[in-house]
Amino acid sequence: MILTRLATAWALFQGLLIEALPFLLIGVLISAGARWFAPGGRWLRRLPSHPLLGPLTGAALGFALPACECGNVPVARRMLSGGAPLGAGLGFLFAAPVLNPIVIASTWAAFPDQPWLLLARPLGAVLVAVALALLLGLVPEALLLQADLLAERRLHQPLAAVGLLERSSGLVGAPPASALSAEVAPVRPPLAELMKHASQEFLYLALLLVMGSVIAALVQSFVPRSWLLAVGGAPTLSILALMLLALVVSVCSSVDAFLALSFAAQVTPGALLAFLLLGPVIDLKLVSLLGLLFRPRGLVLTTAGAALMVLLIGQWVNLWRL
Amino acid sequence: MAPVTPPLLQRAALWRAASLGLWALVMLYSSVDGRLDLLLRAVFHPLVALAGLLLLLVALLQLRLAFGPGRQERGDRRQARTLLLTAAIALLVLLLPPAPSFADLAGQRPRDETAESELSFVLPPAQRSLTDWVRLLRSQPDPKLFAGDPVRISGFVLPMEGEPPQLARLLVRCCLADASPVGLPVHWPAGQAPFPADQWLAIDGVMGLGPAPGGGERLEVVPSRIRPIPRPARPLEP
Repeated sequence: MILTRLATAWALFQGLLIEALPFLLIGVLISAGARWFAPGGRWLRRLPSHPLLGPLTGAALGFALPACECGNVPVARRMLSGGAPLGAGLGFLFAAPVLNPIVIASTWAAFPDQPWLLLARPLGAVLVAVALALLLGLVPEALLLQADLLAERRLHQPLAAVGLLERSSGLVGAPPASALSAEVAPVRPPLAELMKHASQEFLYLALLLVMGSVIAALVQSFVPRSWLLAVGGAPTLSILALMLLALVVSVCSSVDAFLALSFAAQVTPGALLAFLLLGPVIDLKLVSLLGLLFRPRGLVLTTAGAALMVLLIGQWVNLWRL
Repeated sequence: MAPVTPPLLQRAALWRAASLGLWALVMLYSSVDGRLDLLLRAVFHPLVALAGLLLLLVALLQLRLAFGPGRQERGDRRQARTLLLTAAIALLVLLLPPAPSFADLAGQRPRDETAESELSFVLPPAQRSLTDWVRLLRSQPDPKLFAGDPVRISGFVLPMEGEPPQLARLLVRCCLADASPVGLPVHWPAGQAPFPADQWLAIDGVMGLGPAPGGGERLEVVPSRIRPIPRPARPLEP
């Protein structure tokens, strides 16, 4: 029995991993492409830093990246390390997996008879992204972002953008070489350097993806899914259950609408939307990948904030549609 | 002082080439050994092969770099760890192909509830697959409409709680992680030794009316011929 289940978990792991790796590669290649075409990423720093406009602009950039959430992480990391305003980077990270043509098309293909969902999903994703960007914006970057990402980010930020105590260079601390680097004209990295960087990034992310897929596969095979859906019509419970399901299932945002289709008839509309909103922001497979961007505190805040927002949106939809 | 060129085996570019090559091998080998049919929906198969080829290309470029004249970087501990882990995972994936129990997976999943909103085209009864039948019955709930229709279907044996096993299939939208089962009740011939879970069967017969567990009538397959078959090459249905 346990061996059968482990064999099933092994197959689930391979399915999750092999399906996600191409998307991860796409994300890494886009991130490398951005380094090549816009060395220095000066445009990143010109993105608005307004608390509302920033996340909205980041979210809108999703239309330029037809990838799901795995491919999104390297691109968002590239944005943040390039010095993009935090809000814009986070807005992109959280909203782009839903706000892209492929995901919207697949949602429409799965639910052609529910036009409200076609509007509610992108709108909800933007709401969640803006709320998360505002929430995480309250935390100092040094406590939020991973150390190596932060170091890279500081290289690309104008000195004035960094508080005196947060600096490790410039007036206080190490020699101010990094402060000057933002001023000199950016040089296009040699192709070999670009390949090296992309290879390392892919290899590292692939291992994180392996870890996430192992956890997702084990949880999926040992926790029966039927009891999650057993709560069916209860307005609040069904939302919570489907949020938990979204965390566990860990499928890409480009296909989760088709998965939702299989149980759409059994759950409340709010729960359905909650499933489609939470999965792209956080799930078991993503946790390790997001660990590349955030410190544990950031991860916890992201999960809690996203869960709360999605629950509220789900409740509201249930009030409206039920 | 001129930088010392590390020996070939300690060059970071070579390690990267090896790790990337192993991932490329996983993707390409999966594309040819038939396992993708067991794991992923068919639309994703070309994407996996393409990603494998791209990774192979990048690995070859790194290999060229490792043998090239440029300044060589020495591999550090983190890169060594990446290489070792990648090698271990790749080896495991290549040596242990997936062998999921469909019945075990289906037992934990809720039934697929997709109904065809409108049936624009209905195949003749004997050509309908198990999935076609399930969807048709859901959209046309009157069981008497189909009683007596010939049936030729295949699927795996799915044990059910409190009733005889059904013949089932897994529907997959993306990968095995989102598989949801559909099944048809079967009127197993009296005296027939029960088939083990996961056994694939091809059944010829007719649709007949039988008692539904909750009272009333439902359609069930009345077999005239049951043949055990090996698992089909493409066991998942979209």
